[in-house]
Amino acid sequence: MVLYNFKKITVVPSGKDFIDIILSRTQRQTPTVVHKGYAITRIRQFYMRKVKFTQSNFHEKLSTILEDFPRLDDIHPFYGDLMNVLYDKDHYKLALGQLHTARNLVEKISKDYVRLLKYGDSLYRCKQLKKAALGRMCTIMKRVSPSLAYLEQVRQHLSRLPSIDPNARTLLVCGYPNVGKSSFINKITRADVDVQPYAFTTKSLFVGHTDYKYLRWQVIDTPGILDHPLEDRNTIEMLSIMALVHLRAAVLFVMDLSGACGYTIQQQAALFQSIKPLFANKPLIIACNKTDLQPLESLPEEDRRLLDELAKEAAQSSSLMLVDGAQEAKECLLTMSTLTDEGVVAVKNSACERLLQHRVEVKMKSKKIKDVLNRMHVAFPRVRDHKERPPSIPEAVLAKMKQTEQPLTRKQTEKDLENANGGAGVYSASLVKHYLLADDDWKNDIVPEIMDGHNIADFIDPDILLRLDELEREEEEREAAAEGEDEEMDEDELGPEEMEALTAIRKKKKLLLEEHRRKKRAADNNPVVPRKFDKDQQFTAGRMGRHLASLGLDPSRALERARSRSASRRGRKRDRSAAGEDGDAMDIDQPNKRFRSTSRSKSRAPSETRPGEGYKDSAQKVKAMKIGKKAVRKRNKQARKGEADRTIVNLKPKHLFSGKRSSGKTDRR
Amino acid sequence: MPQGDHIELHRKRYGYRPDYFERKRKKDAREVHKRAAFAQKALGIKGKMFAKKRYQEKATMKKTLAMHSERSNRHKADDQVQEGAVPAYLLDREQTARAKVLSNTIKQKRKEKAGKWDVPLPKVRPIAEDEMFRVIKSGKRKTKQWKRLVTKVTFVGPGFTRKPPKYERFIRPMALRFTKAHVTHPELKCTFNLEIIGVKKNPNGPMYTSMGVITRGSIIEVNVSELGLVTPAGKVVWGKYAQVTNNPENDGCINAVLLV
Repeated sequence: MVLYNFKKITVVPSGKDFIDIILSRTQRQTPTVVHKGYAITRIRQFYMRKVKFTQSNFHEKLSTILEDFPRLDDIHPFYGDLMNVLYDKDHYKLALGQLHTARNLVEKISKDYVRLLKYGDSLYRCKQLKKAALGRMCTIMKRVSPSLAYLEQVRQHLSRLPSIDPNARTLLVCGYPNVGKSSFINKITRADVDVQPYAFTTKSLFVGHTDYKYLRWQVIDTPGILDHPLEDRNTIEMLSIMALVHLRAAVLFVMDLSGACGYTIQQQAALFQSIKPLFANKPLIIACNKTDLQPLESLPEEDRRLLDELAKEAAQSSSLMLVDGAQEAKECLLTMSTLTDEGVVAVKNSACERLLQHRVEVKMKSKKIKDVLNRMHVAFPRVRDHKERPPSIPEAVLAKMKQTEQPLTRKQTEKDLENANGGAGVYSASLVKHYLLADDDWKNDIVPEIMDGHNIADFIDPDILLRLDELEREEEEREAAAEGEDEEMDEDELGPEEMEALTAIRKKKKLLLEEHRRKKRAADNNPVVPRKFDKDQQFTAGRMGRHLASLGLDPSRALERARSRSASRRGRKRDRSAAGEDGDAMDIDQPNKRFRSTSRSKSRAPSETRPGEGYKDSAQKVKAMKIGKKAVRKRNKQARKGEADRTIVNLKPKHLFSGKRSSGKTDRR
Repeated sequence: MPQGDHIELHRKRYGYRPDYFERKRKKDAREVHKRAAFAQKALGIKGKMFAKKRYQEKATMKKTLAMHSERSNRHKADDQVQEGAVPAYLLDREQTARAKVLSNTIKQKRKEKAGKWDVPLPKVRPIAEDEMFRVIKSGKRKTKQWKRLVTKVTFVGPGFTRKPPKYERFIRPMALRFTKAHVTHPELKCTFNLEIIGVKKNPNGPMYTSMGVITRGSIIEVNVSELGLVTPAGKVVWGKYAQVTNNPENDGCINAVLLV
């Protein structure tokens, strides 16, 4: 299905904006730095690129505009003529044509100037040429700016056109101004058309959608039409005419029987006669509106006759089937009142029905139907015998079906209750009815909100009993604990040894406390005491040794290590053989490490790969890296000649070793 | 009001939002400050562009203000008597301004005499040979340097046939050949795109004239038959001289003034 969606047209910038966009894009997207000292070819290329880039941008932008706007010949004639009425076809085509020409001119200019740039011999000249080229392109765009402005207007209006599908099932409402067309459409759709008590409230086409037989129907509201020749019609009226001409829809000719619209029935009949050619081959219904003011039955005799005549003509013009003239005519003339909603649905239904029939008929008459009918086949099995074979239904199901056939007692709803107890406004639904309480009698109890100046809600706690339980348990526990705490030992009961230990502990505690307090007082601002004045002898090697020994460790290595700095070196300067004998050195995770020779200079950085990143050890890592490098190296897949292929094809080329040789030439004879 | 103009429809039905006008007023009032902030902040080309726009706006604003207040402004009394004005009682006397007429005719004649070589651009910058030509190396080893390429715009007549390229000393590239010029008629003040008939004179020397090189100040002959000029004798003029006023090699077009 072709969708006529004109909302996707991109915005058309004004002439000035257009130029700004293009030039700033050139500035941003092409290189901007060039110097006199560059090779002239480079300078030329720099400016040529700018000119070409600008041209291509112009081309691109103009092309999108030209492609976005619909070509009047390509779209449905309804839209074609609609656009002609609204925007003037000639003007529209001219504007697009101008853009097209501008695009070509810009292209030509760019070609010319690129050619000139090829002979530019200085930066200055190239720059001037570029400037001239861009300037001329911009001038061209400036000249078409009125067209651009016009197209922008068209775009804005086009995007707001209601999206009418010309091929869908459509009801078209037409008639004199102010007869109730918009009211009708408001009744049967949700279009929300403005309704006012003056003529020409509706100034453009409006679309609404409605539902009939589970199908979607579009209903089009048209502006009112006056009865005068086509040449005199204004744009608003022409919209209606366009819709009538091009849409294959069911037409609802709305008439105002009461004459409240300002036109008599005769005048409306005259309009019907004058636009009758537009109704050809369309299902037509004459809807007489405003029956609340003027019912059809009490119409004067002559008006009644006029209406009947119209109905007959409507039946004639639209019917293809010609069932029964009088019957048909009666069906064509319907009454409604959009004020009281009377007959509105009937009008809609009958119009939809007629259109459906009409469409089916048209389809049946077309040639394409054969293709479908040929493919359709309803198979009936051949009768074998005359035995009756009804569907078998189990007994249980039948019983159930019988049960359900009996009318069920309907559940009483709130609505029923309301109707029984005085209707809306009188009955007030009970809110407490569905409370879930322990006792149903409580439902209607009155609970005060405020009591003794307190809000009761503040004091209600649903699980107060639980809390209370918890509290009690806690209390019990606490009491039990207090009993056990009472038995404390007295000092008198201690033995002399224990007493000694206690004093030692207390002394130590006191010292620690004192130390801590001193530190805190100093607040990280302790004087740094040199080691030799260290009165407490806290940091001597001997003390460390003793301490380690007391902990059960062998202090000899640690002591040696600690002294190694201060003690004079003994024997050889370096150990020839590397460490390794030391049994109690820490095990380092380097099983196969070849220790670097101690003869190597220290300045050289150790070229050792560190293990890590998921490798077991450095050897594995080195291996992995090697494989990786090999994989990355490009293979000589195209079998190009490499270094290994160096060869002298012919050691003794014939032309160098045969024939005479003249003076001075060794490479040819 | 077409379908889909929801804002308008809503306004029509329910009116504007209660704070609409207040917000609008505030927005308008802030607009000035916003622009000022932008003007102070904008750098580079954007700043320049904005400043130019603002300057133009201010100028037009000043002009309109001046126009509106012209009546209330105080003007200097225009007391000077115009030259040649006479009191009312002498108005019907005929005055002979013969001396004036005479001097005018003399001036005219002198002008006509001198007018032959009176051109709009009397002086031009001389162009050196190495600017005019580019040396082209030729020969198998590119050692020969007798060929020249003209780097300026040229006019080559329609009937021109090239010499054999091997012996062609001066090359006039196709890209730099022009056949049309934008010629301005100084009295009509309009410009026409006219065909060039030939190069009458190049100020840089007769060699360039013969080669048809067009530089600034060159006199070219253009085809003015489209303009429909008529000689005093009644013949239609079709060739007329014009002087080139721009540097065609820089602009990519030839602008000229018709010598009337």
